[in-house]
Amino acid sequence: MWLQKRVTFKGYITVMNKTILKLFFSTGILFIVSCKPAFKSTSVQYKDYKIDNATVDTSYTSFLRPYADSVNRSMNMVIATLAADLEKKQPEGTLGNLMADAMKAMAEKYYNTKVDAAFVNYGGIRLPVVKAGVITKGKIFELMPFDNIVVLQKMNGKLLKEFLDHVASRGGWPVSGITMEIKNKKAENVLINGKPLDLSTTYTIANSDYVANGGDMSNMLRAVPQINNGYLFRDALIEYFASFTKAGKQITITIENRVTNAQ
Amino acid sequence: MLNRRKFIQQSAFTAGAMLASKWSMAEDASVQKLVILHTNDVHSRLEPFPMDGSRNQGLGGVAARAKLIEEIRAAEEQVLLLDAGDIFQGTPFFNLYKGEPEIKAMSMMGYDACTMGNHDFDGGLENFATQLNHAKFPVLLCNYDFTNTAMEHKTVPYKIFKKGKLKIGVTGLGIEMKGLVPDNLFGNTVYLDPIQKLNETASMLKKDKACDMVICLSHLGYQFKEDPNKVSDLILAKESEYVDLIIGGHTHTFLDEPVLVKNRLGSDVLINQVGWAGLQLGRLDFEFSKEKRKNFSGAKTISVGKKSL
Repeated sequence: MWLQKRVTFKGYITVMNKTILKLFFSTGILFIVSCKPAFKSTSVQYKDYKIDNATVDTSYTSFLRPYADSVNRSMNMVIATLAADLEKKQPEGTLGNLMADAMKAMAEKYYNTKVDAAFVNYGGIRLPVVKAGVITKGKIFELMPFDNIVVLQKMNGKLLKEFLDHVASRGGWPVSGITMEIKNKKAENVLINGKPLDLSTTYTIANSDYVANGGDMSNMLRAVPQINNGYLFRDALIEYFASFTKAGKQITITIENRVTNAQ
Repeated sequence: MLNRRKFIQQSAFTAGAMLASKWSMAEDASVQKLVILHTNDVHSRLEPFPMDGSRNQGLGGVAARAKLIEEIRAAEEQVLLLDAGDIFQGTPFFNLYKGEPEIKAMSMMGYDACTMGNHDFDGGLENFATQLNHAKFPVLLCNYDFTNTAMEHKTVPYKIFKKGKLKIGVTGLGIEMKGLVPDNLFGNTVYLDPIQKLNETASMLKKDKACDMVICLSHLGYQFKEDPNKVSDLILAKESEYVDLIIGGHTHTFLDEPVLVKNRLGSDVLINQVGWAGLQLGRLDFEFSKEKRKNFSGAKTISVGKKSL
């Protein structure tokens, strides 16, 4: 009897203690959770998986099919017909001439202003040859996969000459609206709209934003403010090429001695 | 030398882990595991690269990535799937559909969060906002102020994920738009100092929200060799506080292994980036133990090792 009573009493105390402890701990844990992290990262193991298409979830292929079908239809869309093969060449090539003409014509249209000269950096032409015959939208994407934007910059003849010397030192880039000779890696006998380059005249120049931002080592252009409406050079090519088709013509373009190596 | 040290650390870790698993039959609740899967700069690469003899032919695409993610989710309890921006632009899919299939596919794959890259501005802010109607995941950004733009209220500065017993705080950083994104495309968006905003957010997540880990999805770029003072993930990590992991993007950097940097407080920050175009899926398996330090702001180190199959 005495023993039993004692046990009960002791048990009561224990239960009391547990309750107090529980209260204490729960408050304590709440306190900890609210003001400091409970865990810390101690180790990490890394792995890079190559996405090699050994296995696929075909529900994604089905999901993509209608989009892909349209994309393919769109990329197979015939934009224009080329009368002859176009070549990427330095100091001047037919493919570059066509692209520089597109840059100039479309810059004039989309900025509603007269453009004195347009340029394409040689390295930005991503196909060596475009064969005669139909040219698809997909082909233009191959030719210009980058999302370069047609921008305008106004600069005096002195800075333009510096840029032209750079073009000359790179072996000659596609130009439109300009003719020049390359002599000792410098631009000589420069004519703009048929008139000699004047160092103090302000010229309006069209370029890709890539070049205008100093790309392909065109550092001298970096500081020149840009007029930029987000018009993609690729869209300019598509529209310019399509304008031949609209006029019922094939695209013809020749070497016109825009850029020549001085003898 | 660094690799050798890492190897030794890793061997010690593996041996320890083997012993631990042998001796503790039941799951040890004091150890928590989290698997982080990540991509960056997928650039509208929904289908694998075409079989045209190019270097990446047959690689990438959402169907194979989704399959892999499903397999990992089936095997692992706690998984976070994250993307560090430039979801858009790079294939004709984007030119035609303005990002709809990209966002829908990411929602199908169960992405938990992403941040915004400079090319995600390419269709204009209105377009990004429109395409986000297809998103079942948040866009995290703590350093762009979109007030008075179409993107206002479309992003959140951070999100806290509860993973088992863990609280994981995730935030995001965008790159400075000027000179990179055409002015008319970013409009009234205001770029805020990424280091300052990240430290504010991370400190709040660790101290006020008691997150066990803070992850930053960064589209700043890993490093700029020609412009070494331009803020990049390497600089960010060094100048950061309370950030554990930076999942990077923008520079299309394929890191052979994640990079450890000591932050301002002397703690380890891990940086990882997996190139571009969805050619790879990055995986980081983190182990956590109970935080025993009284003052958790002291220096914290982590051991890094290559995951064996």
